[in-house]
Amino acid sequence: MAEDIRSLTAALARDPSSLVYAELAEALRRRGQRDEALRIALHGLARHPQHVHGHDVLARIHADLGDLDRALLAWSKVLELWPGHPGALKGVAFVRFRQGDVVAAAAALEQVLALDPTDAAARRALETVRRGAGAVGAPAALPVAPAPAEAQPALEAGEAGAQERPAVFSGFDRATADILLLDERGLVLAGGLAGADGADVSELAAAGLAGVSGEAKRTGEYLSLGAWRTLVAEAETANLVVAPAGEGALLLVRRDRSMPVGLALRFAERARGTASAWLEGQGA
Amino acid sequence: MSDELGRALDRISRVRGMRGSMWVSAEDGIPVAQLLMEGVSGKAVAALAASLVRKISGTAGAVGAGRVRFVQMEAAGGTLLAALAPPDLLVVALADSRVNIGLARIEMMRAAAAVAP
Repeated sequence: MAEDIRSLTAALARDPSSLVYAELAEALRRRGQRDEALRIALHGLARHPQHVHGHDVLARIHADLGDLDRALLAWSKVLELWPGHPGALKGVAFVRFRQGDVVAAAAALEQVLALDPTDAAARRALETVRRGAGAVGAPAALPVAPAPAEAQPALEAGEAGAQERPAVFSGFDRATADILLLDERGLVLAGGLAGADGADVSELAAAGLAGVSGEAKRTGEYLSLGAWRTLVAEAETANLVVAPAGEGALLLVRRDRSMPVGLALRFAERARGTASAWLEGQGA
Repeated sequence: MSDELGRALDRISRVRGMRGSMWVSAEDGIPVAQLLMEGVSGKAVAALAASLVRKISGTAGAVGAGRVRFVQMEAAGGTLLAALAPPDLLVVALADSRVNIGLARIEMMRAAAAVAP
């Protein structure tokens, strides 16, 4: 990776008008150097304002930085230049899902599948989004989309699997399948969540939870309840406990319905203590 | 307010620590019927509770937990509770921190079940 960045930097230095800026920005983004990636992308796009790939990379950088509005703007630009661009459609789905607009997220994924019915990851993402929309209050009647297929870049944004995440909750029951620690921007920090089919749904859950946290905070403020401590949702097959876990972090614990809510709360409290201690150790 | 809805709110409001309860349209967060202590804004409670339920329901669906039935948000100065009354209503209650959540939950779930089709 470092070697790639060195050679791309050298290539750009040799020819500053080259389109290689987009590759360099993407490599920097993947390496976590987001500010530098943003600078390179903006500089390149100033020279090449119609460069589709450049706008796509810019959108990913904004998404990584948690600036969803700018990410959406950049992906919209991609779609203006290249209608039906699958990466941009997935990006739009990712942003809309994070913003809690499951209908728009589903619509974008349906467009992907209409263009490429073999995109299995888009199909999986659509199923997940629809499961999210099936709840009370959310629009239940999403149109049935086409068929099957494979990978889904934008909804993954932060693709690390549970096995690559810090083992913060080792010792807890289902530590990487039912306990998730995320930051307030909806990015996974530790733990993991598995979907009903066993697939890792941590990123999607984290994206959705960022909105929940903001809503709980707003509710506490408007109703003069003060800072919120826990949010419990009793659902058909599982109970969810969501709680702030230190500055800017959020914990989600999912427990089977067979565990009483009071016990689930105690379990979550223990996990929160562990998470807070870990975050302090990280200097967070 | 229909008798049935009103009676349910009355029962919920008798739980100690309760500051008010109401029926809310789940989809748009508009109050349908309410029994609130003075100073509690029914419109704000209804809108915020419906929005919170929508958000957490989306997450529950995404992680395979299924349809949400009951939501409780505990904060430093009180608790917000919501029970889903399919197809399109919520029973919402606002309480101070002394509330017996278990008892409030029983009354709210009973109310929700009573209006189910």
